Amino acid sequence: MSLLTVENLTVALPPGGDRPHAIEDISFTLDTSEILCIVGESGSGKSVSSAAIMGLLPPALKVLQGRIDFEGRDLLGLKTAEMRLLRGSRIGMIFQEPMTALNPLMRVGDQIAEVLKVHGARGSEGRVRELIDAVQLPDPERIARSYPHLLSGGQRQRVMIAMALALEPAVLIADEPTTALDVTTQMQILGLIKEIQARRGMGVLFITHDFGVVAEIADRVAVMQHGRIVETGPASDVLNRPQHAYTRALIAAVPHRARAIEETPKGRPVLELIGVKKTYWRGGALFAPGIAVPAVSDADIVLRKGETLGLVGESGSGKSTLARCVVNLVHPEQGTIRFHDTDLRLLQRRHWKPFRQRIQMVFQDPFASLNPRRRVGDIIAEGPVAHGMDRAAALRRAAELLALVQLDAGAAERFPHEFSGGQRQRIGIARALALEPELLIADEPVSALDVSVQAQILALLEDLRQRLGLTMLFITHDLRVAAQVCGRVAVMQRGVIVEQGRTAEVFASPQHPYTQSLLDSIPGRHWLPPVSGAA
Amino acid sequence: MNRILGEFLTTFLCNKGAAVGLAVLALVGVAAATAGFLFPFSPWDMRGAPFMPPGEMDFLLGSDSLGRDVAAGIAYGARVSLLIGAVSTVVAVVFGITLGAVAGYAGGVVDDAIMRFTEFFQTVPSFLLAVVLVAIFSPSLASIVAAIAIVSWPPVARVIRAEFLSLRSREFVQAAEVLGRSRTAIVFREILPNALSPIIVLASLMVASAILLESGLSFLGLGDPNQISWGFMIGAGRSVIRIAWWMSVFPGVAIFLTVLALNLVGEGFSDALNPRLARRR
Amino acid sequence: MGRMRLVRFLALRVVKMVAMVFAIVVANFLLVHAAPGDPASVMAGEAGAADPQFLAQLRTQFGLDQPLSTQLWVYVSHVARGDLGVSYRQQRPVASLIAERLSATLLLNGTAFVLAIAGGIALGALAARRVGHAADSLITVLALGFYATPIFWVGLMLVLVFSVWLDWLPSFGMNTVGADFTGLAALADTASYLVLPALTLGLFYMAVYARLTRAAMLEVASQDFVRTARAKGVPEGGVQRRHVLRNALLPVITFGGIQAGQLIGGSILVETVFAWPGIGRLAFDALLARDYQILLGVFLVTSVLVLVFNLLTDLLYAWIDPRVEVM
Repeated sequence: MSLLTVENLTVALPPGGDRPHAIEDISFTLDTSEILCIVGESGSGKSVSSAAIMGLLPPALKVLQGRIDFEGRDLLGLKTAEMRLLRGSRIGMIFQEPMTALNPLMRVGDQIAEVLKVHGARGSEGRVRELIDAVQLPDPERIARSYPHLLSGGQRQRVMIAMALALEPAVLIADEPTTALDVTTQMQILGLIKEIQARRGMGVLFITHDFGVVAEIADRVAVMQHGRIVETGPASDVLNRPQHAYTRALIAAVPHRARAIEETPKGRPVLELIGVKKTYWRGGALFAPGIAVPAVSDADIVLRKGETLGLVGESGSGKSTLARCVVNLVHPEQGTIRFHDTDLRLLQRRHWKPFRQRIQMVFQDPFASLNPRRRVGDIIAEGPVAHGMDRAAALRRAAELLALVQLDAGAAERFPHEFSGGQRQRIGIARALALEPELLIADEPVSALDVSVQAQILALLEDLRQRLGLTMLFITHDLRVAAQVCGRVAVMQRGVIVEQGRTAEVFASPQHPYTQSLLDSIPGRHWLPPVSGAA
Repeated sequence: MNRILGEFLTTFLCNKGAAVGLAVLALVGVAAATAGFLFPFSPWDMRGAPFMPPGEMDFLLGSDSLGRDVAAGIAYGARVSLLIGAVSTVVAVVFGITLGAVAGYAGGVVDDAIMRFTEFFQTVPSFLLAVVLVAIFSPSLASIVAAIAIVSWPPVARVIRAEFLSLRSREFVQAAEVLGRSRTAIVFREILPNALSPIIVLASLMVASAILLESGLSFLGLGDPNQISWGFMIGAGRSVIRIAWWMSVFPGVAIFLTVLALNLVGEGFSDALNPRLARRR
Repeated sequence: MGRMRLVRFLALRVVKMVAMVFAIVVANFLLVHAAPGDPASVMAGEAGAADPQFLAQLRTQFGLDQPLSTQLWVYVSHVARGDLGVSYRQQRPVASLIAERLSATLLLNGTAFVLAIAGGIALGALAARRVGHAADSLITVLALGFYATPIFWVGLMLVLVFSVWLDWLPSFGMNTVGADFTGLAALADTASYLVLPALTLGLFYMAVYARLTRAAMLEVASQDFVRTARAKGVPEGGVQRRHVLRNALLPVITFGGIQAGQLIGGSILVETVFAWPGIGRLAFDALLARDYQILLGVFLVTSVLVLVFNLLTDLLYAWIDPRVEVM
């Protein structure tokens, strides 16, 4: 007898969406003592499924048909009051964004006690401390008295887990709980969930887009695409012998370790960073000095022509700051940034123009990196125009570049909001290439994209790099991506490069403990995605 | 571009309130424009017996304590309200955008200085300041427009500054910087067009509050002595309200309708420019 | 530790307030000198300008033949001593004229403010709870209506309805002239005179707060932590009170604080309509008589009241929001 059975569930989207149903004819089961992972890209309907189970669908989404059987009752037939009694006590749920998931005006302890009190249990301080302790947070008393803004993302997510499990529910629904966390924190939270699940024999419904996570924790898997489940089965089957074309495509898109081309860089360095230091000051006021936050303190690198150097680190490591120092978006207080023979750090703004042509950047957020009020053709042409090319020639160049990034010529007349994330990123790449730069800095260019789109953009970048002879500085937090794309890699932690070298060597035998912990935190690192012929 | 304008107009007009508001404003505008035609005499002229109730002796809305036509006063008064509302708002918006843009883009000490300056004008009670200014510099159309503009610009500066601060670190602005575009191009072609949409909403609300401010000033006797205005008419009717209620009621209704219409139009703009929020309503 | 921070915060704010008051005094000074005509006759007012002896007295007292910087210093030191000038017309120091009317204004504004806040938040919260339904539409329309109406006109209409037509309430003044009420009877008498003016001043700002609260609650209701509360099984009432309303009050306090500062400015209109004996009415009379000293004095005092109120608002906000480091 399954713990939770979903049968033929269909939820409608409001009219005007890109399809009529958010989810269509979904059926799956969850047993006790198992972790079922629902995998899919954005828009697949995985979050809608979990919201439907909890009765938390937004009013615009209506359930058209289906049953959800839980503990002998159909959840869809329950009245609001009855459903409310189940939430938090028999079914717990945790969400994706821990930074905004807690009430900023209530102490953490009070919020945990709240879930106990609304279900009639005693919300004593001792019980709250026990719960905080059970999610491996040190100093439970201090945590209970704290307000959420004093806790980190990982700590807040643990508090969420404590709240969800306070009344020992039979089912835990986890909607992408680790997506917004650093990779090391993610590993800890996954471990915590596995440990609690094993100890209590709960059923866990875990939603994710990351196949690595699936490999790490799933017992069974269900793959969703466009609102339908396309494949289900035991994890080992689906991961290693995927049947459905979409599942195979998704797994093939996971960046695999092997890098096709080994490059041998030679010649004088194109870019050298020596002794660069950038410090931010936080919270200063009159009569009170602020706190110095060293964003970059010890990060020497050398980049030769044709190389791709990866800057890898978690959030707050300083990798983005370092990249922005190279293009003068951030001004370091010390150090040398040598580009060929010029020290860029000493240049005045008006002398930067010729270098702008030779160093360009691709940004992370496809939605914020294009001016929403300009046409795509203008966006790409603006760089050359600013450097003296006449407008007509620049627009012709824009058309060539659009073809180069595999977008049709008609795109030049349209506005950014008419394109998808992956397409916008292509436009961003075209814009950067319009000036024919030597050095391309890519700041997390694929982090905001779905996994299948990610693979396409990485392939495009590799193709362009070879064709145009680009030198690349590639910033990422995703070690798998770095392994696929970069010949050499530099690992950063809190403003310091702790290790650098050829990618294969660093990954095979990491020297620094931080690098080791980073590599250990790659979810599913022991799983080798089957190479399906489509590399 | 035509498509965007078309989308905007459709969303705007679908909002019933905004459509009604626009219609009322059109009516007021027509009344102002055709006042000379509908009432081919000066509103200050005595046209008959004083204190005539509405409907009697050709007085559509009654006559005041000196036999002047209330309806004529309202029609001619519309000119003053619309003129002062529009001009003072334009002056305030231009001034506010300039200060806010400089503060938001330059940052640092310049930003601090401008913000302290803005704070000063936001702290002092604005209506009182307007009263003091008009009183000291003698009431006239120019001094009223100046006074209203002086008390109305701070919110514009605040909004523009906030927009500039947020846009300055937006990635497409950073991209423009990396492409090597000039500071002027970045401010005028990248940041400003994206910063202006909240101002459109703000401006329509400012015209509304300018009209309310002007009516308050002329109620207190600080209106331009050569122009009849709605606030003045209400003030004139105050002491005789027991015997001639229509002197105070109708001009007030005119103010109410005009200001309400402007508020509805402003909300229509807001919804049209933020379709996500509008759908939730 | 917290106490030290609080003391430092207060000290810093007081310094800022003093700087602001100084700026206002300087502004007053500049206005007197920028006005058309001779500064002495501006300060003397219409009545005093006719008396050459008084003008000469003013010239020596304020050093009007001295360089501008000395004049400024003299002016500022006068104000610092509490000397806001003398009204020739009333033959009394401005400061004492203001002092005796201040309590009436505070009574009116205080009552109106309480009415506006309590009514506004309650109605706004109700509208947000029932968004899209009849109650919401009604409240929104009424709020929009009162927001669009000039305060003085609302006052006159209320007088028309309740005083002239229905004769339920008195139409001007603060208490019944001639009758010598004491104790509770006096209170009741003043209260009956207070109803209409407080209602007038309060209705406009009630509309402002209702719209503010409604918008804030709708905004907060869509935030993640509200979804978390529901997922915990918190009943709807608890969600609205502990999670939505509490957080929605933050922007209401911020923007509401700014609005309340303007409330005092609006009271000049209400006091004029109802002949309420406060500093607003004083300013109106001074306006008619071109008695600029009183006008500038009222302006200064009102600004100081606004500053004090802003300080209280900031303290309240810092107390409620734990993320604000009172520093």
